Amino acid sequence: MTAARPLLQTKLFPPRTTRSLVDRDRLRQRIDTRDLPEVLVVSAPAGFGKSTLLAQSLLGGVSRAGPAVAWLSLDSGDSDPPTFWAYVLAALRTAAPDVGGSAQVLLDSPGGAPVTTVVTSLLNDFAESEKEVVLVLDDYHALHAPDIHEAMAFLVEHLPPQLHLVIATRSDPPLPLARLRARGQLAEVRAADLRFTGQETAAYFDRMGLQLSAREVATLEGRTEGWVAALQLAALSLQGRDDAAGFIDGFAGDDRHVVDYLVEEVVHRQPEEVRDFLLRTSLLTRLSGPLTDAVTGRTDGREMLARLDRDNLFLVPLDDQRRWYRYHHLFADMLHARLLDERPGEAPDLHRRASQWLERDGDTTGAIEHALAAGDADRAADLVELQIREMGKNRREVQLRRWMEALPEEVFANRPVLAIGHVGALMSTGETRGVEARLQIAERWDHAIKARGAGHPAPPGLLVADPTELGKLPGLIAVYRAGLALMVGDVEATMTYGHEAVGVLDAADHLGHGAATALMGIASWRGGDLATAEAAYIETMRRLELEGYVADVLGCAITLADLQTTQGRLRDAERTYRDALDLAARQGDGPLRGTPDMHVGLSALSSERGDLSAAEEHLRTAHELGDHLGMPRYPHRWRIAEARVREARGDLDGAVTLLDEAEQVYDGDFSPDVQPVAAMRARVWLRQQRTDLALGWSADRRLSVTDDLDYLREYEHVTLARVLLARGDVAVGGFLDRLLAAAEAGGRVGSVLEILVVRALAAQQAGDTERAESDTVRALELAEPEGYRRIFTDEGPVLATLLRRSAARGVAASYVSRMLGSEDSPPGGARATGGLVDPLSERELDVLRLLASELSGPEIARHLVVSLNTVRTHTKNVYAKLGVGSRRAAVRRADELGLLRR
Amino acid sequence: MSETQRYEIRIQGRLDARWSAWFDGMELVDDDGSTVIRGQVADQAALHGLIQKVRDLGLPLLSVTPTQTGPTP
Repeated sequence: MTAARPLLQTKLFPPRTTRSLVDRDRLRQRIDTRDLPEVLVVSAPAGFGKSTLLAQSLLGGVSRAGPAVAWLSLDSGDSDPPTFWAYVLAALRTAAPDVGGSAQVLLDSPGGAPVTTVVTSLLNDFAESEKEVVLVLDDYHALHAPDIHEAMAFLVEHLPPQLHLVIATRSDPPLPLARLRARGQLAEVRAADLRFTGQETAAYFDRMGLQLSAREVATLEGRTEGWVAALQLAALSLQGRDDAAGFIDGFAGDDRHVVDYLVEEVVHRQPEEVRDFLLRTSLLTRLSGPLTDAVTGRTDGREMLARLDRDNLFLVPLDDQRRWYRYHHLFADMLHARLLDERPGEAPDLHRRASQWLERDGDTTGAIEHALAAGDADRAADLVELQIREMGKNRREVQLRRWMEALPEEVFANRPVLAIGHVGALMSTGETRGVEARLQIAERWDHAIKARGAGHPAPPGLLVADPTELGKLPGLIAVYRAGLALMVGDVEATMTYGHEAVGVLDAADHLGHGAATALMGIASWRGGDLATAEAAYIETMRRLELEGYVADVLGCAITLADLQTTQGRLRDAERTYRDALDLAARQGDGPLRGTPDMHVGLSALSSERGDLSAAEEHLRTAHELGDHLGMPRYPHRWRIAEARVREARGDLDGAVTLLDEAEQVYDGDFSPDVQPVAAMRARVWLRQQRTDLALGWSADRRLSVTDDLDYLREYEHVTLARVLLARGDVAVGGFLDRLLAAAEAGGRVGSVLEILVVRALAAQQAGDTERAESDTVRALELAEPEGYRRIFTDEGPVLATLLRRSAARGVAASYVSRMLGSEDSPPGGARATGGLVDPLSERELDVLRLLASELSGPEIARHLVVSLNTVRTHTKNVYAKLGVGSRRAAVRRADELGLLRR
Repeated sequence: MSETQRYEIRIQGRLDARWSAWFDGMELVDDDGSTVIRGQVADQAALHGLIQKVRDLGLPLLSVTPTQTGPTP
């Protein structure tokens, strides 16, 4: 597997610790590698020796026996979540090669995975690893992406005991520090701790070979206030000087910024060629011989760097071969400010040269950033334009948007490819503002190109970095227009633009076609035209599979199976899920997002067919595959499926609780909400005979039998009919007739079936036996080939009578007798339940038996070949069902109930 | 519509006038042991960027004061 993006290994290189000038024992004692806190924050301004202290404490010493160290030096280019996490995983791999493999696969998967999925996978690896690792994030203040801070907060909240986090920063990170502090999980080292004491200052100058009097040391310490960088600069200035006392007095008597003053001293003492080199290279975030040569126009870059390194001029090596360096940040800023002041015209040119060299070297990010700093908008625009495809593929739209937004407005006007790329970056990050203006630029040029006709030269003024992208313009415009139309709910316009896109897109542009058909699929679905929606989804899935976007194929499978279920085709829906699982299985052994969702879907189908054991097994499998691998709709769908099982098992309260939860975690993920959770809950209330609550729901939803019918409200309307029927309102017949006609017209056989059942009950209640029987017969005929069961068995004795009567007349006799004769594990059935209201599942009994043994949690997990988290979940369920709060109490209670005898 | 506003950022210690270019052409005024950085700031994001530059030099920040609203271009 190739890396989706090149990583700079220099960022994973911890600072060297060979030159330990002052032993900072008092601080090192606070960073005991044998007893690290969960989180350590080192927060102080630039030049306070944060990185050095950490490198010395964590990596220094010959007899170090602490955790393995993963080091990552951050910069502003890492404020892009996929880049940041790729670096974090790479850093962790240097310390613990067996951790984060699955997270990497998820991160690299086509189309990407949500960050919480990646982080959860990483945490799971740690939970099962014995290895202790400390992750050092240096220069954390460089990160400005709220998404990263949010995910880091999640990581901190779920930090496994094996992982320690160390953050070095100039400003306190936006993480829940107060909470960590209150829990005693946070240690802090701050500016006051890092300042050199008088004693340390004296020891430092002594070690540097400078003989200073106590008064001189005190003067220096007072003037620098123990600021480490300032003391180092002072030592440099003092070396080889005859009149140390004069220098110190001059320094003490000056009120200029202490580091500014000292840098001036140091730089002034350098020969002209060194001075020149320092100023011209000050704007580089990393330096090598060839790069500095390109920027300075000289040929002595390598020697210069070696010389600066030797003279201790604030150069930090970034690798073992001493090829790459960087200046100490504070020193670089001081030099850079001098460059801007002394040679104001030179900086843009230096940036441009750096940009060109970095582009050739393959560091596109650096090339773009220097082009922007050079004020060379056209060059920057070209570079950004050439990155659009790659960035989209790697889901780095956040970074792409940042670049786009750093470009001046006027460069877009003549660049249709850049403009349409901006549209894509905006829409894929959920932003519609600014989309229209960019689309119009693209459309204007598209018209101009078409007006000239094929084969003619491009219209004057047009700028494009990659001419092959121009041909894709018409298709992209149509796709984004369709997307915009769908966002505002304009089904008709979505279809029009979608068809247009399909007509003009290149046949091999699978992603383009996939996007267009998916948009039309959703639009058709919302309009209730399920057959068209189904065909569109099948095409979308075919295209996505060709492009290798397997997780997205699985996401579409959920919708496709829903469409098939609504059309009364349970068997096809099952095949859809199983085909998707086969496809996933063919992808190799990496974790695949969406596999748990397939099992949730299969659970719902098993449930409908009355096979509750299979339904439970699928839910368990989904859980064991890993909840974090679920798609956005997974959390609520899992709960709904579980609620359906509970309902069938007679645990109606449990079902309502699960539906409450489902409502809270609901995420439609762009799909129309065709079966609202609140309506499902109203149906359970009806079974609980809480008709008032159900009536309250229908009033809240302002539902009425005189409503115009709309597929999006069909499920609610059928629920309303049930509510009215429960209240004894027999006048729902006409309403049901209308619903039935609409469902039939839309080919929604699944809906037809349910409406027939409800209408049969209504007819029976109204005394119209003939209608009741004919509706029952029709429903049976539709349901039998697909193996429906609960649509009948959930209804109670009135319908059971109707079913028996149909069977007696020879309609689906064996089907009816199977349905009414056997029900899966009726309450009080064969299994030893120990009199529990909510009996333990097989798996929970397994866990319970092991809890009665001497095995520890991790050992139980290994025994059952599941994760520790799964064991914890089972244990929690066992405790809840037994009504106990501890392992010992659980075993005692189980013993009393006879659950352990088997 | 413009959010442009004049600000005065006061820091402890003296910073030469030549730091003006580093602070995007803002004016630097020495005021009895402290330095006032003053000028037009495009919006809140630009103001925060400016404060970050102060932080990165390790300069103790004393105050940030809006003065008068700039002309709307």
